[in-house]
Amino acid sequence: MGLRPGDHVCWTFVDAADFRAAVLPFLDEGRRLGEHLLLVGASRPELLRALAPLPGRDEMLASGQLEVRSTAEVYASGEQLSPAEQVAAYRSLVDAALARGRTGLRVAADVTPLVRGGDDGRTRLHVYEQLADALMGSVAMTALCLYEASLGAEVLGPVTLLHPDQHCGEEEPLAHLSGRGRALSLHGEVDVTQADGLVRALVDVARGTPGEVVLDLSDLRFLDVAGARALARAAQVLRAADVQLRLVRAPRTAVRCLGLFGLDGGETVPA
Amino acid sequence: MSRVRPTGDWDGRSFAHEAFAFSADQELVDRVVPFAVEGLSRGEPVLVVAGERVRTLLTQELGADVRRLATFAAAETWWQGGHRTLHAYDRDLRALQAVAPTWRLAAEPTWLARDDGREWSRFEAVANRCYADLPYYSLCLHDRQRLPASVLDAVARTHPLTWGGSAPVPEPAYEGPEQFIRSVHPVWAQRPARASVAVLTTPREARRTVSAAALGWWPARVGDVVQAAHELVVNALRVAAFAEVSSWTDGDTLVVEVADSGPGLPDETLGYVPPPVGPDGGRGMWLAWSLADDAAVDSHPAGTAIRLFFHR
Repeated sequence: MGLRPGDHVCWTFVDAADFRAAVLPFLDEGRRLGEHLLLVGASRPELLRALAPLPGRDEMLASGQLEVRSTAEVYASGEQLSPAEQVAAYRSLVDAALARGRTGLRVAADVTPLVRGGDDGRTRLHVYEQLADALMGSVAMTALCLYEASLGAEVLGPVTLLHPDQHCGEEEPLAHLSGRGRALSLHGEVDVTQADGLVRALVDVARGTPGEVVLDLSDLRFLDVAGARALARAAQVLRAADVQLRLVRAPRTAVRCLGLFGLDGGETVPA
Repeated sequence: MSRVRPTGDWDGRSFAHEAFAFSADQELVDRVVPFAVEGLSRGEPVLVVAGERVRTLLTQELGADVRRLATFAAAETWWQGGHRTLHAYDRDLRALQAVAPTWRLAAEPTWLARDDGREWSRFEAVANRCYADLPYYSLCLHDRQRLPASVLDAVARTHPLTWGGSAPVPEPAYEGPEQFIRSVHPVWAQRPARASVAVLTTPREARRTVSAAALGWWPARVGDVVQAAHELVVNALRVAAFAEVSSWTDGDTLVVEVADSGPGLPDETLGYVPPPVGPDGGRGMWLAWSLADDAAVDSHPAGTAIRLFFHR
């Protein structure tokens, strides 16, 4: 897999076999790197069965290097998920792992149940994913966020965008909305296929910050009309919530699309 | 002598679009001064954007009234290519519409004298449709001494009104926007056998395919070519399960064709219609046309094919 601390992967899975195919190499890699391993999913017994082929499973369970817990135990249900508290909890787990001599924390979590908390629950999940991503940018943590593919594009769109690493079947990852820097930043290619997800993700993560929110576009490799429309829509929704979205460092090629919506891309960067 | 009626029966509620071609100074003065004075007397915003000769004459003839013009600007600096020029003009129109129930404009598109300015006639043609509901009178001024006959011919074909001596009258040479646009687009020749053809179901595949083709032609324009083709593919995939993307070079020109089996374009002149205000509404064709150097459309009820031409 080649994943290291800082990596934060969104992985959609179709069935149990697909789930195991992602989780087993992920945890085995962590085992070899001497990390503390945590697997979170709907049912603990099922997870333990899924882990049967994992080398050293029983020894790691006995020594505490591998923990298996249910989603309900780790996260509150979607209606009560507190993004800041959850991220603080992970930060403590990282510290605890390091204190026990592990090289970091590696989490594989089926977070599908968190999506089921209605519209507010989804908003909290988006805020949480963004804060978690920022955490992983700064501590020795690696995460594989697993989502059932059956959740559909509308639900998975925003969630996927909030991960720097993505795996959705055969589809090549395109865009990533990151909060790891001082400003929010948009990376990769933003086209019509992610436009709706971008509006949702951007509004959800920026809405809680009254005043100005800066979005850096310098790492955008492609933006189409639909993507620019998504930024215009998000800006409109945010304006109504007293948040001013300011786009900065737009690549020259994106400026044209932004201009079609009267958006200013700030001082441009070449290419 | 019959009474001059500078805007004829125009009621100020919709778009009137007249072309006036002049040679002698007096001809111009006799047309534009009463036009401006009538507007001022009716309390309408009167805008003048023109070349130096027209501005000098108007300054002499209108005297102090020049200061009552809502805009009195030099046209020479306005040209930024057809799409940018129209987009800027469109924003000015929308701003006016927000504050004035009706207005009038005397405009001299001096750039029609430039080789790269001739495409302006396409925008003039389509304005008759997309500005039909805007409440203003546009008196377009054309200097016979500066403009070649072919441009004056295009002017007549794109303006429904001309000057009859005492009032505006219908221009006999006027054509509908579609007819004019078809006549100036490159002829739809058969696709050459050497063209590379791909059938695609997602825009991202289309970007990869077109990017590869454009890289081999001229790397500096890959961005424009990919962006323009992408927007056409997005449109095609809205109406059909797949899009056929082909490309070939013809001398220094790269041609990219996007074809679909959808129901045909409702309006094939959309590449010249400026973006609407607000986030809704299409802009893909406008963007594609603005990035390409030329375009051609072959649309019928069984499908649409659009060609974009990029010159090296």
